[in-house]
Amino acid sequence: MIVTVTLNPAVDEEYMVPEFHLGGWFRASSVRQLPGGKGINVSVILKQLNYDSVAMGFLAGFNGEYIRDAMRRMRISTNFVHVKGETRTNVYIVDPVGHMETGIAAMGPYISEEALSRFTINYDRMLKRASLVAIGGSLPPGVPQDYYRTLVEKAKAVGVPVFLDAAGPPLSAALEIVPTAVRIDHRFISVTLGYPIDSLDKLVERISQIHAQGVEWAITACATHDGLGNIFYTPNGIYVAEIDVDQAVSMIGAGDALMAGLIVAHEEGMDTEMTVRFAMACLWEEIAHPGHGIGGMDKVKSLVSRVRLEKLD
Amino acid sequence: MIIEELMDRDLTALTEDTSLAEAIEVLSIHRISSAPVVDLDGKVVGILSEKDIVRAALPGYFELLQDPTFIPDLGQFRFRLRRVSREAVKKYMTKKVITFTENDSDFHVAMILIKNNIKRAPVVRDGALAGMINRADLLQHLMSEGKDDA
Repeated sequence: MIVTVTLNPAVDEEYMVPEFHLGGWFRASSVRQLPGGKGINVSVILKQLNYDSVAMGFLAGFNGEYIRDAMRRMRISTNFVHVKGETRTNVYIVDPVGHMETGIAAMGPYISEEALSRFTINYDRMLKRASLVAIGGSLPPGVPQDYYRTLVEKAKAVGVPVFLDAAGPPLSAALEIVPTAVRIDHRFISVTLGYPIDSLDKLVERISQIHAQGVEWAITACATHDGLGNIFYTPNGIYVAEIDVDQAVSMIGAGDALMAGLIVAHEEGMDTEMTVRFAMACLWEEIAHPGHGIGGMDKVKSLVSRVRLEKLD
Repeated sequence: MIIEELMDRDLTALTEDTSLAEAIEVLSIHRISSAPVVDLDGKVVGILSEKDIVRAALPGYFELLQDPTFIPDLGQFRFRLRRVSREAVKKYMTKKVITFTENDSDFHVAMILIKNNIKRAPVVRDGALAGMINRADLLQHLMSEGKDDA
């Protein structure tokens, strides 16, 4: 059983606003409301790839009910701890004309010690049935900055692989315990490094540092001349994978699709090159339409061979 | 239809060592009338309902509470409820649990739930909790199925 952890879920509201700019008044051409948060997005995409998972974390208030109900309708197993307050709303403004996205993320509800303890008990129990744990996203107020480290440590203690998608101090603390795979948001990678990343070499250098710590798979996005790229430091070398972005509609959830692809590749026992291709194909399929999610396994498979791959020396 | 398509895949559960106070909070915040009790492997070992909690607080009076002419002393109830709230779920849970599997038919499950006056029951896979089946969801499904036939 695959377990996904989203400690700070959100209701994602995506507004399509052509020619959006600051200070103006606009009418959205379309609005989508979706359950969100990295782990939840991974669970949704896994379901679309015919893989079951259990989504864990915290939910609160009306938004929490909405997420739980949406997950139920998608037939995704849930084990959330419900807390007081309100699950946050994240707002995304997508400008399909200017090809620009603006995001505003809220803080999330306060998590009490009792609620965190309840989650930890549930997590320990779920680990006994888990084949893989995927942890992602920010920490809500009240959760210690090194809590991901605790979760990674617990999973590793029982031999369960951990895929982590995080940033900042929670990521740095968890890296010390060496998760199986780590995806670092390119927007935060220079923060973890302490100096700006302005070249592919520097990006590879940082990814190499993480890999040197023992992390088998370290991934981050990179800009390429012809499309959208990701660097994969794998157990069998460094790959730069690239896809076309001509038909990209929205980048929201792109990283989560990549993580879901990596998880499926891991569960299917794909080889390194195929894993990279499959993960990138999931990302490609995700960004081809608004909102979260993909059109299914067949659509992903049709993109696999079109992913451009370069192995670095 | 099998209940896999109707069940709630929420795995909210209590453990035997959970206190009644925490169990009440879980029932309240999750807006559920009962919760399965599981062991460390997720195996269902019992179920705790609101009824079990009321019975824990007022063991001798439970049957009287069903009588519309009986006026309970709520102050006494509150006092006793607080007193038992620190005790563990395992003392008051129902140990004989009726469980179903995902492949059980809707009609079979509905009949058993109605016959035993059960609102929700655990659905298990290899003995471990896989979700809950609610009587109301089954009734709604059976009703909508009937509409198609009419």
